[in-house]
Formats: sequence, structure tokens, C-alpha cells
Amino acid sequence: MNTKGKLVSGIVVGGLLSLTAPPAHAHHAFSAEFDAEQPIELKGVVTKLELVNPHSWLYLDVKQTDGSAKNWGFEFGAPFSLKQKGITKASLPVGSEVTIQGYRAKNGKDFGYAVTTVLSDGRSVKTGGAQDAPGAQANGQAQ
Amino acid sequence: MRSPNNGPSSLQIALMLASGLILLFLATGDAGAAGPKIPRLANGKPDFSGIWQTTSAADYDLEPHSNRKDAPPGAGIVEGHYLPYLPAALEQKKKNFAARDTLDPALKGYTLGVPRGIYYPEPFQIFQRKQDLTLVHQFGHSVRTIHTDETDHPKDPYDWWLGDSRAHWEGDTLVVDVKHFNDKTWFDRAGNYHSDALHVVEKWAFIDPNTVEYKATVEDPKVFSKPWNLSVILHRHREKDFQLIEDYRFTLDYDDAYPPKPNKP
Repeated sequence: MNTKGKLVSGIVVGGLLSLTAPPAHAHHAFSAEFDAEQPIELKGVVTKLELVNPHSWLYLDVKQTDGSAKNWGFEFGAPFSLKQKGITKASLPVGSEVTIQGYRAKNGKDFGYAVTTVLSDGRSVKTGGAQDAPGAQANGQAQ
Repeated sequence: MRSPNNGPSSLQIALMLASGLILLFLATGDAGAAGPKIPRLANGKPDFSGIWQTTSAADYDLEPHSNRKDAPPGAGIVEGHYLPYLPAALEQKKKNFAARDTLDPALKGYTLGVPRGIYYPEPFQIFQRKQDLTLVHQFGHSVRTIHTDETDHPKDPYDWWLGDSRAHWEGDTLVVDVKHFNDKTWFDRAGNYHSDALHVVEKWAFIDPNTVEYKATVEDPKVFSKPWNLSVILHRHREKDFQLIEDYRFTLDYDDAYPPKPNKP
């Protein structure tokens, strides 16, 4: 990938990451892109799941008050870390309904960082992978 | 008296004929021996280990193109010359081309993908064992594994930058099936692109011990109306002490930011 392979790995913060998490997690810091002061909670319908290193992305259509749909993108952890939590392509099929709790992007666009994802079967999964992301305890603030 | 310029003597003609026959014999002998002379693994399969690079201008544009400010001319490497885009995809390709100075994933330092990494104008190295080939690209130092252990694609795939490569041998030709890509790479600098439904079948075969013919059949039902083929010739680097030097020139601007410094705002 496009970063040098000299990134510091192995620092596990808040138990969010397992020891086998690849160094790709450190690809960029949470705080470089996302705003810990702007928690967000959205319910939507999955349009695409990209299981891409170093960060996976989930895209969902969120219904607006006027009835139209707006497509949001949320950053997830690396594919391998998701797989360890039981998340594969089959867990988030296109068309399924999910709820995301996380934080908005600093640039104000329709992107965010997913800390927790509630799947259509009710399962709640920690989907974020950044080492400096606010922990699960921050979810209570999400609106 | 005969002038020396009057034409060849019968002796000279005889000599020419004889040398011609010798050359013909040597050439035929060479061709017959070409197969056995290519490098081979202990198990008899062709050994592609080495550092390879194309001299083609394919990375600038797979299709025939005249010179332009950011590209030398090239005859293209596509069978039939032009890619069989679906109408909407052709419009997207034109947009990509117009904005290639900012949108080309290679200029962002992204992994080049398959097949672009093969004909990108930088060397790549192959390490080969019975069970796999490892391709290391100088650009971005990306690493690709081609499995030759008769395993199939995984059942719960990711969307890999380089796809998932599973190969088998057809005689001395290595046939590689590659799929499970993401849609973030392009085929070239000119905006030729694909979706995550990309499926590539590569064929690698020696022409002689220092030259490989690389062919790829590309299909992507979301972007193209039918599969299409490309081919390039790869040359072995034989310069003394030649080696790969990792190339991250497109991320030099970010050197200060990596590795991250936790105490820096």
C-alpha cells in the first residue's frame, strides 16, 4: 500500500484490538479524519461493503425527512480484524438494515467512523479499528 | 581478366550457400533446444524467478494513442485495439481521462492492481517455489502471491487490491485465475477502469530464457460488453547487481506524518 511499512504496531489500546491485528490498523490515526466531538448514530440500508485493507468501508442509504435517500460511508477496521469478529460479506449483505454508532468526518461530508454496528439480526459488533478512536463507552453519547 | 566487382565467383557462391546452411542448421537447432533451455524448477516446471519489466508504453494508455503532454505515443496492447465498454462505462472512462492528473490511483500511491502492476514501467521481481510465486513490485513495494498448490479461491473473500490468484500449468504455460478485487485501481494512466467484478485470466510463458510473453483476458460484466485480451513482452533485467529499490515517490509529501507522532496535535 501507499504507506511505508515501518509503522508502529502492537500497541493495543483499550482492548479494542487483538494482538494479531495487522499493522495496517495504524495506517492513519482516527483523529486525522474523524471528530470525537461529533458522535453520530444512523440507521440505513447497506448498499456496499468494501472489505479492503487497510480500512474496510460500509456504505448505506439513510432515509431523509423528505423521503429521499442519502448515501453515507463509514470506515471499519481491517478485513482480518472484522473476520475475527465474525464479519464477512455474508454478514452485511446489500439491502440489509443496520444501525451505526460512530463519529462524523472532520470535513463535514457524508462520511464517518463506525465504532459499533448493529446488524440486521440484532448482533452488535465493534467494527472500528483505529488505535486512538474513542472507546465503546463513548457510544452512550451518540444521538 | 575478371574484375573483383563483376560478381561472386563460384567459390564465393559455394561458401555463401554453405554458411547459409550452417546458419539455418544453427537456428533450427536453437529453436529445438529452446524449450529445455528455459530455467526450470526441480519439478520441471518453468521457473520465472528474476526481475522483469516491459518496454511497452501500455501504462500510459492500453489503447492506441498519439503522443500527448503526459504520455509518449503507443500502439496499444489490446487485441482489437479498443476496450468494449458498455455505454455508461464509456462515459465514466471519458471523465476519468479528463481528470487523470488527479484521479489516477497510481499518482496517489495506491497499489497498481492486476494486470497494471505487470506492465507499469518499473521492475518487479518474481520468487518462485513449487507451491507459489511471489511477485514483489518496486512501485509501492506491493506483494502478490500466485498459488500453484491446486487450491481454489477462498469462500469468504475480501476485496483485495491485487485480487486472489490461483494458478495451474498448461504445459509450460502458467495460467492464473485472479478475482475478488476492489474497484479502486485503474488499468492505466488514461482512465481505463474496472469494477469489483473484475476477473482476469493471465497466461505466462517463456519465449526464450530472458523473455516472457504475458497475456491477460479481462472480463467485467459491470463495465465491458465482452471479455478482451491484452499482451506484453517482459524482459529480464540482466544488469550487474540490478535490484529493486522501493518507490514511494507519490507519498513523499506525507513523510513527516508517518509514522504517526502521538503527541503532535
